Amino acid sequence: MEIQYQGEHLGFGILGNILIIISFTTALLSAISYYFSFKNKSDLINSWNPLARISFSLHAFSVLGIIVLIYYLIHGHFFEYYYIWQHSNSVLPLKYMWACLWEGQEGSFLIWSFWHVILSFFIIHKAGSWEAPVMFIIMVIQVFLTSMLLGLELDGIKIGSNPFILLRNHPDFANLPFIQMSDYLAKIKDGRGLNPLLQNYWMVIHPPTLFLGFAATAVPFAYAIGGLLTGRVREWVKPALPWTLFGILILGTGVLMGGAWAYESLSFGGFWAWDPVENASLVPWLVLVGALHVMIIFNKNGTSLHSSYLLCTFSFILVLYSTFLTRSGILGDTSVHAFTDLGMKGQLIIYLIFFLVLTILLSFKNRKLLAAPSEEDPVSSREFWMFMGMLILIISAIQISITTSVPVINKLFNLKLAPPADAVDFYNSWQIPLAAVIALLMAVGLYFKWKQTDLKSMSKKLMLSLVASLIITVAIHYYFQFARVQLVLLLFTSIWAFAANLDYLIRVLKGNIAKSGASIAHMGIAFILLGSLIANSEKIVISQNRLNVDLGKDFPNNENILLYQGDTLPMGEYYVTYKDKIKDGIHIRYEVEYLKANHSTGQLRKEFSLFPFVQLNERMGNVSEPSTKHFVERDIYTHVTYAELDDKEEAKKENEGYKPGKKYQLSICDTITTSNSLVVLQSLNKDVDKNLLMLQETDLAVAANILVMDVNKKLHQANPVFILRGSEAFNRPVEITELGLRFAFIKIIPEENKFEIEVSEKVGNSREFIIMKAIIFPYINILWIGCLLMIVGTWIAIVKRIKKLRS
Amino acid sequence: MKKVHIIGIVVIAIALAVIVSTISNSSTYAPFRTAIENEGSTFHIVGKLNKDKEFIYNPEVNANLFGFYLVDNEGLEKKVLFNGSKPQDFERSEQIVVIGKMSGDEFHASQILMKCPSKYNGNQQDQLNAVSDESETES
Repeated sequence: MEIQYQGEHLGFGILGNILIIISFTTALLSAISYYFSFKNKSDLINSWNPLARISFSLHAFSVLGIIVLIYYLIHGHFFEYYYIWQHSNSVLPLKYMWACLWEGQEGSFLIWSFWHVILSFFIIHKAGSWEAPVMFIIMVIQVFLTSMLLGLELDGIKIGSNPFILLRNHPDFANLPFIQMSDYLAKIKDGRGLNPLLQNYWMVIHPPTLFLGFAATAVPFAYAIGGLLTGRVREWVKPALPWTLFGILILGTGVLMGGAWAYESLSFGGFWAWDPVENASLVPWLVLVGALHVMIIFNKNGTSLHSSYLLCTFSFILVLYSTFLTRSGILGDTSVHAFTDLGMKGQLIIYLIFFLVLTILLSFKNRKLLAAPSEEDPVSSREFWMFMGMLILIISAIQISITTSVPVINKLFNLKLAPPADAVDFYNSWQIPLAAVIALLMAVGLYFKWKQTDLKSMSKKLMLSLVASLIITVAIHYYFQFARVQLVLLLFTSIWAFAANLDYLIRVLKGNIAKSGASIAHMGIAFILLGSLIANSEKIVISQNRLNVDLGKDFPNNENILLYQGDTLPMGEYYVTYKDKIKDGIHIRYEVEYLKANHSTGQLRKEFSLFPFVQLNERMGNVSEPSTKHFVERDIYTHVTYAELDDKEEAKKENEGYKPGKKYQLSICDTITTSNSLVVLQSLNKDVDKNLLMLQETDLAVAANILVMDVNKKLHQANPVFILRGSEAFNRPVEITELGLRFAFIKIIPEENKFEIEVSEKVGNSREFIIMKAIIFPYINILWIGCLLMIVGTWIAIVKRIKKLRS
Repeated sequence: MKKVHIIGIVVIAIALAVIVSTISNSSTYAPFRTAIENEGSTFHIVGKLNKDKEFIYNPEVNANLFGFYLVDNEGLEKKVLFNGSKPQDFERSEQIVVIGKMSGDEFHASQILMKCPSKYNGNQQDQLNAVSDESETES
């Protein structure tokens, strides 16, 4: 008998599935219509083009509809839908609900196709005769993307993963007995919720930006392929140029936002860790920047057509490859933030191979048209050095790709290679010299003239910035004392790149902002390199702990310090106090106060407080997030690496008993420590009031005068007594209840003049503490200023290119 | 010879250098056995945490030393020392990759990668657990 399930809202799922099918079929229809629209150059154009546009509009509506619907379901907590249950819950703040949408693969494919739809509006309105071929490619991409949502099973082959699948139909649940009950939904109290790591404002803006960047790389690709399809192999570069710049701008911003997110809320202590997922989006960006430079060369003098083709198509294919890497589950052990395999590996490979083969076939077909004049650029020309710069970028991209692809190489050749043990160091040893060369080319690049340069006047113009940069480099190196030559090289070239481009902007362009795109963007990149160089290589872990057991130089183990609540410890130029633990919903915030000593009086004064926190999440694991104090010239990053999360106060009440005591043999004035105080054996008192202690007159009684100072500098007294009755020794212990301490005077060792004191502590006495790590990142703001300059410069360049296109 | 060709050769040479350096610098996934045979060389060891044995972590004595027992895929168990604080949620990890080298009878890890069943992506079991709190289906 059919089970009548209670409380489900099946209508939304039906609507969603209809929208998915519409979006898929209209994408297909639109692609076909656009194809015939440019293939049949007869009167039929007029009939194919409107059909293409109408089906595109329907496609656009359905993609938007799916997004709105999923958002609505997340917002309304419709947990009968698996995707909603898996990625959201009812306690999630409104501001993070969008992040649920793109936490899963299905949603991220959706957001990706959403951006293609938005970009398509601009293409349809502005591209003119390029509309049909470019839109054809974009719609083919959409066919692939929307197929990822279909969720069909054909002969055991899974096509796509449907975001509207019901919880009770999902393979993970379908066979569970409770799912067979008609009121199963009432038993599901809440969704699994959003990964706490993603509950961060960066996660609301970073993924959509990155996907817009991905979507933007499709446009230059579509122009390049459109050029091959229509035989206009030389005309596509000019209209594709602003799109290439747009892709660089958005993808670059997205990558940098990822770095900012990692810096602000991940605990690996930095903004770039050469993680495979970071690399996967950096590589297409590098290739796209290379593409831009050869496209500019082609636009100027008609050479470098082949490279323009190669790089434009490859930046898109690399985006597909990066999608494959991060979504197929192949990265497995090597990355912390890849998606899991949803069984779409095959589909992703088909997607990748389709566009790769399409590109190769079409290039082969058009090989005669593509035959380039074998003209050489002279060495003193700007185009020659731009080309060289592009090559360096490509070498950098190749190095990153190959190292990131180790898991793929393993799969292909059945090897067991692991990434280099110190991956960051390995990447740096390649990328720092390459970056130094790129910075050098950025410094001199704009001073070369097209075709031919008078080297004498060029070196004259460069002299000022060269000398200034040398002086600044020497000064900075004198201050920081960089450990490696390659760092000093990058320091010099990046400073020169900044100075030379600034000089170019002022003296050559005379401050003409409209033409300043390249120089400002280059200044930005120079600052990004300089900022990361200084902040990364000169960062100082100030939470040094020298008390620990040293395990040798190869195994440094002193980067975290233990801080008891209420204690103040010196750390670098500061003193830190762990003040308080504040429970705030699912967050436990640790108040860490930074103090500084006054030079003359030595008195400590509060400078600022930081609140690193641990987010509690039963189902997904607790996540600890750092807190950073930003200054103009540096950041102080503070991170709780370990804390006992149980409530100590409650534990105290439960554990009234004492732990086994520790015995100390002390001389007068010796000091020992307990977990919460300092203990000094001050003196002995032989005049003990025996009546008060109810002892016999003949007893020999000695009291120890013990002074105890607690963490708040409060003093306590304890006077345990040692008693000798005949040959029998016994004692009267004393408690300090406030501190949970008990002292007993065990024996006297006359020959050494020492006294044995036993100190016992209560079980609940171990004090609240945190283990923290603090790092100073010097001059990290140079990096962020560089990001802004890069964005502004690229934007100016886009405006200039669009204006040129219209004139 | 044209400049283009020279440039081409240089690029190919550098690309080859990249490949060679990647392969020669790459570490290997290996069992403890191999790490013991090559003491002092760095390996990636994949294994599971022995949950019956206690962790060695006394932050009040040394906050930067964390030890545990790892059973590799061949079933060999070794004590692993890690020079840092105990990672959050270590107990929950399903599979662990430690990167480091053998030193005597201990494995000194400089990095620990954990694969938590739930951290980034739920696997089946975890999802079942998540619901079965509220239902009586656990058998």
